[in-house]
Amino acid sequence: MEPQPHILVVDDDREIRDLLSKFLERQGMRVSAARDAKEARKLWPLGRYHLVVLDLMLPGESGLDFAKWLRSQGEVPIVMLTAMSEETDRIVGLELGADDYLGKPFNPRELLARIRAVLRRASGEPGAAKEPPARAIRFSGWTLEPTRRRLLNPDGAEVPLTGGEYELLQVLVERPNRVLTRDMLMDLLRGRQAGPFDRAIDVAVSRLRRKLEDDGRNPNLIKTVRGGGYVLAATVEKG
Amino acid sequence: MSQAPATPAAAPSPLVTPAPARQAPAAWRFRPRSLAGRTALVLLLALAVVQAAGLTIHALDRVDLQRFAQAREISQRSISAWRTVLLAPPDRRAQMLAEMELPSSLTATLDDRPLARPDQPPMPLPVARQLRLDLFAASPPRYRPREIITAWEPGGPSFIASLRLPSGEWLNLHIRLPPPRPWHSETFLIAFVAMTLAAGLLILWAVRRLTFPVRALAEAADRLGRDVNAPPMPEQGPAEVARAAHAFNTMAERIRRFVGDRTQMLAAIGHDLRTPITRLRLRAEFMDDDEQRRKMLADLDEMEAMVAATLAFARDDAAAEPTVAVDIAALCRTVLDEAADAHPDLAEDIAYRGPERLTAPARPVALKRAIANLVGNALAYGGAAQLSLSPPEGPGRPIHLKVEDDGPGIPLGELEAVFQPFHRLEVSRNRETGGTGLGLPIARNIFRAHGGDVVLRNRPEGGLAALATLPA
Repeated sequence: MEPQPHILVVDDDREIRDLLSKFLERQGMRVSAARDAKEARKLWPLGRYHLVVLDLMLPGESGLDFAKWLRSQGEVPIVMLTAMSEETDRIVGLELGADDYLGKPFNPRELLARIRAVLRRASGEPGAAKEPPARAIRFSGWTLEPTRRRLLNPDGAEVPLTGGEYELLQVLVERPNRVLTRDMLMDLLRGRQAGPFDRAIDVAVSRLRRKLEDDGRNPNLIKTVRGGGYVLAATVEKG
Repeated sequence: MSQAPATPAAAPSPLVTPAPARQAPAAWRFRPRSLAGRTALVLLLALAVVQAAGLTIHALDRVDLQRFAQAREISQRSISAWRTVLLAPPDRRAQMLAEMELPSSLTATLDDRPLARPDQPPMPLPVARQLRLDLFAASPPRYRPREIITAWEPGGPSFIASLRLPSGEWLNLHIRLPPPRPWHSETFLIAFVAMTLAAGLLILWAVRRLTFPVRALAEAADRLGRDVNAPPMPEQGPAEVARAAHAFNTMAERIRRFVGDRTQMLAAIGHDLRTPITRLRLRAEFMDDDEQRRKMLADLDEMEAMVAATLAFARDDAAAEPTVAVDIAALCRTVLDEAADAHPDLAEDIAYRGPERLTAPARPVALKRAIANLVGNALAYGGAAQLSLSPPEGPGRPIHLKVEDDGPGIPLGELEAVFQPFHRLEVSRNRETGGTGLGLPIARNIFRAHGGDVVLRNRPEGGLAALATLPA
């Protein structure tokens, strides 16, 4: 990661734009701000941005259209903001390639954590970040749908997961048959999920096993590795 | 599931005699309940009356005709018998009379004395007139009987006319009027039955057809009740029906517009509120006083929760979410896990009892909110949340879901009132404990949108239980 990431903030509310810029600058980032897509397009060639924070509800050209344009310009990660945390908007946003999504009113610290996580992912795994998000990831009969953030059991019924369980499962299925230590998991999950989850990887794993009907004493799917780690033992198909 | 009483049952006042259970009298018990049935019944009864009257008129007419024909024949034969006897030589009279062809209703004998006895009542005048006995009296003197005695044998349509010949002998005419046979014609009866059946079937068909729009209207109203965006009714058929359908569609359109306006307005308010809350959140980050910032963020969290709950309640999100197969058991455990994460101090008192897996059709996001509201309520006011999930007891039976707490419970009269939006209990659950006053109404709306329901009941061993049903 570069020492001072350059962030482009696109939001039509002047106060939010200014406060967010100030907040992110205090966290050691360089920030440019635009009030709508038109202004953002003007700013685009003037800098090399590491990430765009984009409000979906913009006057004139919509945030979704601007995101499409951004995608045609390069690999810049996008974190979307919207006052309407409607399911469909989120799905469309994620399918368009937004790297993360936050409903307004957002918690600034959570936004910061997510920005850092997206930046880390973008710089750490250049190959993985370029891939378009898979619609469905299948393993051992189970299906994970990243755009809808849901898990389907072998019968096709939705199995609800907590935010933490979902993130953990996604991290595991993206790296099948690779041993992930607790530290690695924590690192991969940091920023995605704040709060008590950090202290509770083991709890989340045991809950996940229960939901995946994996016997906790003799697990077949999420195996415990001696020395403190976990591995998803399954063939993963993306489609 | 047993319904908790909404209000304590009112004690019957001694001054008021309890109304007897409404029960239709026996004669009305079989009255059809449907409009089509009633209309058909009335029309069929009317048809029966008309047919009965027609049949009676026909029968009377036929009887008259038969009587006339019989009388005519009897009178002709009687006259010819009389002439035969009168004109034949005395020694051949009996033989010629025996050789005569007479109808079965007439017997003629030649005797020494009249069979009609004067002590019997005479033939009634209408019958005599019908039999044209006056023709004897009106014939030329040579042919006129010397004496006519008539008699009516009591107890039957049997008459005797005794005519005295000039020779002193009596021609006794024994007349038996046969009973009238109004149903003589088989073809008529068959035609009549066929006609009645055809008319009856036509009535049933027409009534069903004519009352179909009423059923269609009821179904459309039902659909509109469940889904405000249900497709409009076809505006066709007879003028009145088309008008009713048009009026219904107009009403549905007004409701749709009203709901749409309200949703739009609430979304606008929600959006407008979210912007200042976002600004305040950002501003709080620049506050130096950590204590004040923490409090301000807590206030903002509460405000946001209230806005979100109000919007969720007003928009009725459950209606927009598609129904999919959901593992309800996993959903319940997820809600409890999240509750335990949010309240680590109460984690010991959060428990799940039920199957590992239970699939049912549901709207997962909405149902999760409903169950989370019940669990959140139990934790906030009862300090515990024990969730029990029971699979349906049989086909067609619902899934039962129970959330129990160890709190003080709710006064009996308030068990239903707390489902009113923004309703607050006076004593035990006031504003200090937080909450938006919408948790239970939202939960109930969602369960009802699923075709289930939720009620509250005080547990005998203390604490409150929320009892919910969900179609399997």
